[in-house]
Amino acid sequence: MKSIRLYLIMSLLAAVTLGNFVAAVYGYKSSMAETEALLDNQLADTAAIMQTMRPGTHRVSLPPSERLAFQIWTADQRLVQRSENSSQTPITRLEEGYRDENFEGYRWRVLSQFDADASLWLMVAERIDIRIDLADDIILRALLPIIISLPLIAAIVWLVVGNGLSLVSKLAKELREKRADDLTRLGTVNPPVELVPVVDAINGLLHRLDASIKRERRFSSDAAHELRTPISALKVHVHNLRKQFPDNNEDLRVLDRDLGRLSHLIEQIMLLYRTSPEHYQASMRSINLSDLARSVIAELYSDVDARGQTISLSGTSQTIIGDEDSLRIMLANLIQNASKYSPEGASITVSVDKEELGIWLGVKDTGPGIPLTEINQVFDRFRRVGGDRHGSTVDGCGLGLSIVKHIASLHHANISLQNNEDGPGLTVSVFFPADLHVFMGTGRNSP
Amino acid sequence: MLLNSVVIILREVLEAALLMSVFLASARFLHTRNRWAIWALVTGAIGAVSYGFLLEPVSDLFDGVGQEVCNALLQYGAFASLAAVAFHIPRRSNNLKSSPATIVALMALTLTFAITREGAEVLVYVSGFWDVSDFFSAVALGSVIGACIGFSVGVLIYYLLLAQPVRWALPTSVLLIHLIAGGLASQATRLLIQADWIQAGSPIWDTSSILSEQSLAGQLLYALVGYEASPSGIEVLAYVGSVLIVATAYFAGKFSSQRATADLE
Repeated sequence: MKSIRLYLIMSLLAAVTLGNFVAAVYGYKSSMAETEALLDNQLADTAAIMQTMRPGTHRVSLPPSERLAFQIWTADQRLVQRSENSSQTPITRLEEGYRDENFEGYRWRVLSQFDADASLWLMVAERIDIRIDLADDIILRALLPIIISLPLIAAIVWLVVGNGLSLVSKLAKELREKRADDLTRLGTVNPPVELVPVVDAINGLLHRLDASIKRERRFSSDAAHELRTPISALKVHVHNLRKQFPDNNEDLRVLDRDLGRLSHLIEQIMLLYRTSPEHYQASMRSINLSDLARSVIAELYSDVDARGQTISLSGTSQTIIGDEDSLRIMLANLIQNASKYSPEGASITVSVDKEELGIWLGVKDTGPGIPLTEINQVFDRFRRVGGDRHGSTVDGCGLGLSIVKHIASLHHANISLQNNEDGPGLTVSVFFPADLHVFMGTGRNSP
Repeated sequence: MLLNSVVIILREVLEAALLMSVFLASARFLHTRNRWAIWALVTGAIGAVSYGFLLEPVSDLFDGVGQEVCNALLQYGAFASLAAVAFHIPRRSNNLKSSPATIVALMALTLTFAITREGAEVLVYVSGFWDVSDFFSAVALGSVIGACIGFSVGVLIYYLLLAQPVRWALPTSVLLIHLIAGGLASQATRLLIQADWIQAGSPIWDTSSILSEQSLAGQLLYALVGYEASPSGIEVLAYVGSVLIVATAYFAGKFSSQRATADLE
């Protein structure tokens, strides 16, 4: 079922309505039978009164009425007396009992009775439509409250079900509002017995998850520390060896390069772990994205320049709510990637601009771009365009864009890659939606 | 008057409510959205009002039996689209990635036919007592009771179908579709008998002493399986024939979807 509330309300209302109304219909049928019996008795009473008045000797007269009619016949079928609204012919058979008959354009309930003392047939009739109207009126008055009470029952069912499910809604709200890094126990106090297993299961899961993450953190931290120390020592040894063997020994050069790659890989793995949205302790505040880009460009300028590449900043000054450290890592990764995969002499443009629905950050290079078949896979961990055969001379481990994606997720930003339309190269765009990032534009960046 | 109103309105509402419940439940099992039901209700209501207003000239057609003939055509239309639904159910259930547009349109069409006919009858009945103040309250009350009982049964059947174990849910709905289709075809045939277009012949059996058509259970069975206490041979033939047609349509759909799957493999 889609909604428990809807299911409970609809099925309860349907059951109550069905029960009530079927009971009302059967109640109506039995009430109608009772009323008819009552009216038949009344007809018999009228006949009895007429009989006691001895119609042979007294003139019988009923008050003029549309509802009643009568005839008095002798045993040899001679009409003695009749009401004005009855005909000259017998309104029913000369046979004792109740019968339904038609005369004067109506259907009548007729009682035929033989008075043996006076040797006369008494026939008293009552119009059936009036009897039904009368009975209907009495019974409908009894049924009406059932109908009227139905909306009231519906409202009560709605409130009761809503109240009963409020604890489920409260639990759902608490889970929805829980931060990704909040693994503390649920605050639901005294849950109803039906929810106790759910709350216990969630709390147990949170506890195990918390312990697992702590274990992972400890392991990562220990591993990083344990690996960093020997690598640093190795670096010192290699440095010392290079001093001892200054003739540019090839083995030492390879060892030094591989050591650099290993160190970079460990740093990137640590960064990937630290920037994952589940782990990262973001400190969100107002940040001028253009100023941050300018600062990162300044830090990396020497590396870019060393490859004979140019780098510029364009667009307008824009402010977002973000975490400075992670955004700095993101920008550095994007610029390093652009530089790494572009040939010497290429140009890199970092742009910050305001769009209708948010702030756009772009890093555009004039490198070879990415084949369309690989464009969706570059965010995968350890994924390198063209495998390890890419033309770059700079070391890489294929984690840079995964880290960038983590940081974009932290900021609820969308990231996309497009090959340039106006020439070779790639543009990486990060879009920070306006509804999640307070921003304001001021002035224009100088290139 | 109240009881007559309950029986007449219940008969009409129950039939549409039952069809709608089975379709809504089937739609859930076939993973389609239920927006079609709103369209079917709207078009059915427009159809019912239009048909209700045109009932007088329609009744004069075919030597005064126009209403019976038109009602029979609407019933046969509902039956034909229901058979088409039965054909498409296995195709959709075997390939949930296929577009549900056809089956959804057919369900909406079946329901539109049913609501048009039944809605027009309700409208004509209730409006007939509009100016008769003596009877109106009883008719109105009876209509409300009849409609509420019909809707309630529909709601309960819908949730009962949803409560079925997954492997039984769709087969139960398909079985109900077969029974409803049989009821639609036999009712249409009965209307043509009333119009003297078909010779009825004598009743094959009479179960009115066991289960009256006017009772609540009789009404429920009328809506579900087209129950009639004393059916003629031609009505029974129409019922059995139509159930066989729907079954053939269902198995043809199943066979064709299995072949399509085998071809893909």
